[in-house]
Parts: sequence; C-alpha cells; structure tokens
Amino acid sequence: MGELLLHNAPFLLAGLRATLALAGWSALVGTLLAIPVALLRYLDVPVLGRVCAFYIWFIRGTPLLVVLLLAYFALPALFGYRTTAASAALVGFIVFLAAYAAQDMLTGLQSVPRGLIEGAAALGLTRFQVIRLVVAPLGARIALPALFGQYVRMFKYTSVASALGATELTGSVLLVNGRVFQPLPLLGIAALVYLVVCLAISLAGRWLHQRLAPDFAPATPEG
Amino acid sequence: MGYHFDWAPIWQHRDQIASGLLVTIALSIAGLLGALLIGLVVGTAGASRRRPARVAAVLYVEGVRNVPLLLHIYLWFLGFSALQLPAFLCAAFGLSIYSGAYAAELIRTGLASVPAQQSEAASALGLKRWTTLRFVIYPQALRAIAPSLASLASQLIKDSSLASVVAVGELAYEAGAVDADTFRTFEVYATITLLYLLLVTVSSHLILRLAPPATPGRRHG
Amino acid sequence: MKRRHFLTIAGVAPALALLPGFARADDAPDSIAAIKARGKLLAGVKMDTPPFGFLNEQNEPAGFDLDILRAVAATIGVPIEFVRVTSVTRIPLLLSGNVDVVAASMTHTREREHTIDFSADYYVGGQTLLVPKASTITGVDTLDGKRVAVQQGTTLAKNIATLAPKANVTAFRDYDAAWLALAQGRADVLTGSLSILEGFAKNNDGFKIVGGLLSKEPFGVGMRHGDWAMRDAVNATLQDLWSSGAYAKLYQTWFGGEPPEQIEVYPQ
Repeated sequence: MGELLLHNAPFLLAGLRATLALAGWSALVGTLLAIPVALLRYLDVPVLGRVCAFYIWFIRGTPLLVVLLLAYFALPALFGYRTTAASAALVGFIVFLAAYAAQDMLTGLQSVPRGLIEGAAALGLTRFQVIRLVVAPLGARIALPALFGQYVRMFKYTSVASALGATELTGSVLLVNGRVFQPLPLLGIAALVYLVVCLAISLAGRWLHQRLAPDFAPATPEG
Repeated sequence: MGYHFDWAPIWQHRDQIASGLLVTIALSIAGLLGALLIGLVVGTAGASRRRPARVAAVLYVEGVRNVPLLLHIYLWFLGFSALQLPAFLCAAFGLSIYSGAYAAELIRTGLASVPAQQSEAASALGLKRWTTLRFVIYPQALRAIAPSLASLASQLIKDSSLASVVAVGELAYEAGAVDADTFRTFEVYATITLLYLLLVTVSSHLILRLAPPATPGRRHG
Repeated sequence: MKRRHFLTIAGVAPALALLPGFARADDAPDSIAAIKARGKLLAGVKMDTPPFGFLNEQNEPAGFDLDILRAVAATIGVPIEFVRVTSVTRIPLLLSGNVDVVAASMTHTREREHTIDFSADYYVGGQTLLVPKASTITGVDTLDGKRVAVQQGTTLAKNIATLAPKANVTAFRDYDAAWLALAQGRADVLTGSLSILEGFAKNNDGFKIVGGLLSKEPFGVGMRHGDWAMRDAVNATLQDLWSSGAYAKLYQTWFGGEPPEQIEVYPQ
C-alpha cells in the first residue's frame, strides 16, 4: 500500500493542490460577492433587493451538482461560449457559496439587537453610518461561525467537481483506482485528508469567533 | 447555428424524468429516516450525562461530517465492494450516515434546550427514563428544532443528486440519460432544476406542517 | 415568499419556451481559424478507456485516439490540449464549444449525424461481451435476467437493449465505473467495444471475451455541424497517416496486428 501511494503521490498531490485552490478562491470571491447581495437584501433596495432574494432562494434550492452541470454544459451551450471544467467549477462554486454566505450574513445583520441600532440613531448617526459603524461589524462577527461552516462545506463540496472531470482530489483518486483497483487505501487517504483540512478550518473559525464575538452572539452556528 | 429552444424532446422523455423524480423521492425518504434514527441515537448519546457516550458521539459527528458525502457513497460502493450492496443502498447508507451526523448535532442541541425541570417533574411523577424520553423530552426537542430539521431534509433532497455518480436512476442521472439521447442540454437541466426547487419547497412546507415550531414566527429556510 | 419566486419562474418560463432561439458569435463554422488564433487545439478524449484513451502508469493521458488527434494538431500547426470526456459528455461538450474535436471511441451513426459531423472512419470495431472466466454466459441469447454493465450514452447501450431485452442493464456514466462493476461482481457481464474489452482482459486475468461480434462499430472523429475546415484537416491527417505507414504502426502499437481495413485515400 505504501508503494501504491508513493508511486501515485505526485498525481494525487496535484489533485489536492487543485482542491485547495478551488476551495480557497471560491471562498474568497464568494464571500466578497455575498456582501453586496446581503446588504441589498437587508436594505430592501427596490428592484435589486428582489433580484437578490430570488437568487438566494434559487441557488439554495438547487443541488450543487446541478449548478455545476448548468455552468459546464447548459450555459455554454445556450450562450455559445467556451469554458473549461475548472473555470465552470470555480464559477459554479462562487455562485453557490455566495448565496449561502449572503443568507448567513443577512441573518447576522438582522440579529443585531434593536436596542443598539436605536441607540446609535439616537446619537444622531445617519442610517448609513449606523449600518457602517454598528450593524455591519457586529453582524459580521455574529455571522462568522456560520461563514466558516460554509467554508468547511465548500471544501468538502469540491469533491462534486469530479463529476465535471475537473482536477481535484476525489476525481484523481478515482482515476488512479480505475487503474490499480485499491479503493480502500485510496479512499481512506482521501477521507483522512478531507478530515484534517476540514477540522483545521473549523478550529480556525472557532478561534476567530472566540476572539471577535460579541457577548450576545450564539456560541455555535445552527446545524 | 445559434441556440434553438426545443422543449418537445423533454416532454417526449417525460417518463424517464418522472421515474427519476420518484427515485429521488424514495432515496430522500430512505435517507431522512435513516438520518433521524442515527441522529436520535447519537444525539441522545451526545447529550448524555456519561462522558464515554458524549465522547463517542463527538467522534462520530466529527469523523463523519468532515468527510465529503461523495466519498461516503463511494466508500460503500467501491470500498466495501465485497458487500455487493446495490447502488441505491450505497447511496441511502451514505446519505443516512452523513446526514445522521448533522441530525445528531441538531437533536443534541434540541435536547439541551429542554429545561431540566421537565425530566425532574417526569421522574417525580414516577415515569421511567425511557418513557420520559419518549413522551416528554423528545417531542419538545423535536418541536424546538423543527425548522432546522426542515433545512436538513431540504439539504438531503439536494444531496441525493450525488447518487447519480453510482448510476442510481434518480433525477440527475435520468437528466444525463435524456441529455445523451436528445442533446437538449439546457432544456433538460433547466427542467430538473425546477423539479428540485419544487421538491425542496414542498418538503419544507410538509415538515413544518407536521411539527410546528415551538416559538411561532421563528425564521426558517 | 417562495410562492412569489415560483410565480417569477412561471412568468419567465413561457417566454423561454416560446423564444425561437438566437444567433451567437461563434456561429461561423470555420473553427481552424479560431483554433490558430487561440493557439491550441482542444481535443476531447477519454481517460478511462484503454487502449483508446486512458491513464498510463505515470498517470498521464495516452492512447490510440490521443495519437490520432496529436497528428491532427500537427497538421493544423498548433499544440494540443486534452480535455477529459465520457460517452455521456463528449457530444454536449463539442456542441457547447468546450472542445474543438472529439476522438472518444465514438461510433459513427446516422442518428448522431443529425447533431454533429464525423470524419472518415479511423477504426472499425465491434461490440462484444466480457465475462469472468468461470461464467456460463456464451452470448447474447444467454443474457436473460443477467446483470449487464454498459456505458451510458453509447450505441452499445442501445444495441444491448434491442438484442437482450430480458437482461438487467445498468448504464454507468463512464467505462471506469462499468468495468469496476464487473470486476467487483456487481455485474455478470460488461458489454463494450472489442478492443476496449480486450484491453481490460489483457491487464486482468480471470476474464474472457464471449459472444462474437454483436455489431459493427466504425469510429469517427467528431466535430460540430458544418465545420468543413476541421473535417478536411482530420481527413487529410488520416490519409497522410495511412500513406506514410504511420497508421499501421499506431495500430500495431495499440492493438497488435495489421489494420483490418484500409483508410480511404483520395488523390491530390
């Protein structure tokens, strides 16, 4: 078994690197994208707010596999543009993560106690100043555990990109297995890698939360 | 060449799509029941007064949750191939075990939210522990976490699409089959997207109807 | 709130259904110019189907189809980039423009002609059955009630449904999965192209080919409808390979033996 892993290590490590890149970029860009979406919903901006609501509902009601298949097969066929499995997977993950992150951010923003908002308004701050200085920072810290939960989920979900043939850890493991037929060691190693990385992300999130969380925030995210 | 919409072939293949829908529903129900069962056992252990039970629960939850569902399914299908489990069961087991870890966490927090006085009052009335759990504690815990359970069910329905990779004839798999026959890629995937949205919405309503939240007006979804 | 979202979809959907469609920027069928401008040929090949397209010991893509397409890229004068396809995805990826050309053990059929174009045939194979050595299956008539593994989206799947209607057929999304089903005992028989099954049997003792040839499967290189420039390039490449003897060498390398049929060659 050691020889099996040693021989195929470069290929599998390439898959792991691709997985980390995919998860990392989609977490970063997805989070950035989620911020305006969440704010537009929070402020209930006339047309765009509704659009964001639809977008959040649509993506949260659609399986990730279907989102990826739409990104790689359906949309390029419809609009006639070329894409690679990797780009389609990245776009799919970004769009997917942003919807969930936006919902978590929205919940965070709406969880900021009324008293604080009214107090800030009483101090003479404008609506935007209240949001910028009070609601957003607090909402962000409330949403932090949920956001890290999404990042962990995203890392696990990179495995679904194997259905597109994009390079990532699960797909690489399956391709090697097709040649050597040693599913248990190969799947076992893959499972271990996911476990370690996911735990690391979770612990990082928990550490950040302990340092930054306001007193009234819930200790653990729901689900 | 352009893109010409043509929904007729999708309608012609409606039997395949309908069959996929039914399999998705069957798989989701099987997975949900399994997840609830596992969740009750592990979640109760997690809320136990005894330390070994709590540790075992944590090990299960963290060990299972941090491994992708796809890998769980492949482990049953490829890894334990000696068992020769049909693909549907591999997917159902994977879904149950994976979602069971999430259910366990929900149930654990639900149990923790039931005030201790409830157990004390029940034992004062002479009820045994198991009876107490069954008629007093669990119902209250489940009502408290009903919205989260609805989320879990929605997630499970969506995750069932992964069964397609081991050739379970559910919705995503049949979509691939219809696409291979008709090449109407956009139309077929748009159709199953709508069907998933429908399934998720209907199931959420059903679950919330069956177990109304303890505190009315609580946000869900 | 959710009902409102469904109403939105209900409002938009009929518009989509009634739309006749629209033209797109890449509708010009001459892809060679686009490929040269882009600087590489995107070639769709399989990576789990020996000896046509698979991963070798070094986990690098290799195979007969890949070598054919390498020659095409050389004819066009650009480097080649391989994109993994499966039987299910090879035509959708071609249609969507994600690949320029596909050589993926794809049978040239009249039905597929409705959707894509083919080059001249570059390989002729046949469908047959692969079973464990101890199996009692001898052919298509002994398949009643047996579990058959086949690839989704292939002529093989269609053929076996006609030839053995009482068999219990499962279509997998790629050869990898179908082969593993047989190897692990989930299926009693794997049906596929002769050379492919021979490839699996060669690397694994304990399996044998039975049933003779159930059908004739000519393979062609696939390209988009009306892509005359690509078709000319591929046909020219195939003819040059034949005339120079390179084709016979490739055939010998991947299949062993002489090519049974000649590639048609046109005079200059």
